[in-house]
Amino acid sequence: MIANRGEIALRINRACQELGVLTVAIFSEADRDSLHVRQADEAFCVGPGPAGRSYLNIPNIISTALITRCDAIHPGYGFLAENARFAEICSDHGLTFIGPEPRVIALMGDKASAKNVVREAGVPTTPGTGVLSSVEEAYAAAESIGYPILLKATAGGGGRGMRVVNDPSELQRAYAGATAEAEASFKDGRLYLEKLIRAPRHIEVQVLGDDFGNVVHLGERDCSIQKPAHQKLIEETPAPNLAPAVRASLHEMALRACRHVGYTNAGTLEFLSAGDDVYFMEMNTRIQVEHPVTEMAYNIDLVKEQIRIASGEALGYGQSDLAARGNAIECRINAEDPRNHFAPAAGTVSKLVFPGGPGIRVDTHLYAGATIPPYYDSMIAKVVAYGDTREIAIARMERALRETVIEGVQTTIELCLEVLAAPAFRDGRYNVEFLSNELALR
Amino acid sequence: MSEHLAYVGIGTNAGDRTGNLSRALGELRNAGTLAAISSTYRTAPWGHLDQPEFLNLVASLRTELSPHELLDAFLAIERRLGRTAGERWGPRIVDLDLLLYDDLTIADERLRVPHEHLAERAFVLVPLAELDERFAAMRDALPESELAGVLRVEREGGTMMAPEFSLAISERVRALADFLSSGDAVRVRIVRENDEIEVARRQPYAARARRANDRTAADATRLRFDTIKADLVGIFHLSRPAPSEGETFDADRELGYIEALGIRTPVHSMGAGRLVRIGAADESPVEYGQALFSIARG
Repeated sequence: MIANRGEIALRINRACQELGVLTVAIFSEADRDSLHVRQADEAFCVGPGPAGRSYLNIPNIISTALITRCDAIHPGYGFLAENARFAEICSDHGLTFIGPEPRVIALMGDKASAKNVVREAGVPTTPGTGVLSSVEEAYAAAESIGYPILLKATAGGGGRGMRVVNDPSELQRAYAGATAEAEASFKDGRLYLEKLIRAPRHIEVQVLGDDFGNVVHLGERDCSIQKPAHQKLIEETPAPNLAPAVRASLHEMALRACRHVGYTNAGTLEFLSAGDDVYFMEMNTRIQVEHPVTEMAYNIDLVKEQIRIASGEALGYGQSDLAARGNAIECRINAEDPRNHFAPAAGTVSKLVFPGGPGIRVDTHLYAGATIPPYYDSMIAKVVAYGDTREIAIARMERALRETVIEGVQTTIELCLEVLAAPAFRDGRYNVEFLSNELALR
Repeated sequence: MSEHLAYVGIGTNAGDRTGNLSRALGELRNAGTLAAISSTYRTAPWGHLDQPEFLNLVASLRTELSPHELLDAFLAIERRLGRTAGERWGPRIVDLDLLLYDDLTIADERLRVPHEHLAERAFVLVPLAELDERFAAMRDALPESELAGVLRVEREGGTMMAPEFSLAISERVRALADFLSSGDAVRVRIVRENDEIEVARRQPYAARARRANDRTAADATRLRFDTIKADLVGIFHLSRPAPSEGETFDADRELGYIEALGIRTPVHSMGAGRLVRIGAADESPVEYGQALFSIARG
């Protein structure tokens, strides 16, 4: 069963078809005419448009898997992909959850416990504290960590209850403000503090592990081109201008953390890097949106590997068998208006032309006449370009994006082209603040 | 893939008309499974009196195609059957119209469902009501002059009927019952090869006809239909004793239940009414939103 929608549901269906595995798709009433519904061997409607009643409707999803006699469930990304309880319910009903064990999902899914456990494995995390009991404790901690620091709400999210503190004179006021804001937003005013890493790069490492203790990494991806609120827009592998020693240490730390927690299946460890310092941020215990860049560089099918591993097979290769070649870049095409705070644009695609030619891969669920429902993520396509060098990959991507025609909805194509043309991107010297700064200059 | 029920109107007024209908039905099998086929009706042409008579029928099709895909399939069938020897694009001699598609309402530049003339044309409503009695009231509300224009064609040895037709015995029984209630006969028997159907009337015709008339008059103004849909995914069961189509109930009644994850969730009639249609087979899997029962109220 493919417990997802959109391009990732198609991606999983493709892997299954190539492996000769029959598929059952699920869909909401808003997705009745979606491509994944058509391409799967069977499809069941599990609820109305809003995801809470369809793609997150655990009883209907499990019931569908049981009455269609599924063996395994691939959760894709988002929705139920990192829900440890769902993974547990699957195994209670004799269904294989294609991902790590529920215990590992729970452990690594919680940011605080994930940091604790990787620290045990000797992987550095952003210096910080536990829950602060008073402003005096905050003063002492900030002094020992070093300014600037970031005050964060333990129940936080979306930047609420968060304050940047540049020196001790600002701390008292920031502490009071963040406490009040967190109290108002989450009914939980507790705070902790962390060292503020200025202008870091977001670099992540792809891993695969099997049930026999074999773990390999498949290099890193630089995902620093992010929209406000940390949403990735462009990803590439390998990370440009990364010191060889830093790259080797990132790969080695990822493997060490995975071995320590007994990680199986596909996963990604996200790091912040600033200069020669790297800090573990969090782990995604699932396939990522940007996995195709790694597939292009390593010539591997990660989703097939996930299915193989979940069915109890050993990896069958070691780290020395794996070698990346060339450069790969992904641009996310979202149905949203970059000129209006990236407001999602629902609507009907009236005209559609996707690019082709050497080194280009397009993963999409779009077709001419398709309606983009308002309920879900606004990503409608991923364009991936490969080249023997970074220059070739960028040139291919620019040419591919110019070939692309999507009429009927606003998209991020123009914005991606602007980023690709920016000198900082071309030089491979950019960080997570790049896009916000560019947008602010307009 | 999920299956949908579509009603298709087929008409022809040129060439080998019986053959055209038969070939159109044959082609429709590529678009799904024929569930039932109405009798064939002769429709007197009006307006252009120099045209030959139309032959019309309605078929119901279980299909996985979307309404627009069906429309494309119909256009392709029309084109294929329109081709005559030596002429690549001959005149369109068969018309296929999508009348209904589940309970969907569609109105765009290409397609209008339910079909826009559905409520006005006897050559559509009369065969349609044969297959689905929800439309009997609409048929009976048509003006006499419109109804007079369509005449049922005697079946000739069953040659034009699809093999699937023998499966739809209930539909044939219903057509026979219609026939009985429209005349003086009390018993009709049809024998064809190994297939024999006999339908007899239990009550005097006059009393039945009067009641039917009373109901039709009231139905035309007050009748409405509710569709009871599945709100979870599971295995659908009819309650025991099993409800049957045509059954009336004065109060709320449990009609079936859905079994999911070991829990049985009952499906109720939601009040009094007449059970017009059972939409899912007993002990079959049902998806969210699938029509289970159609109930006439009022």
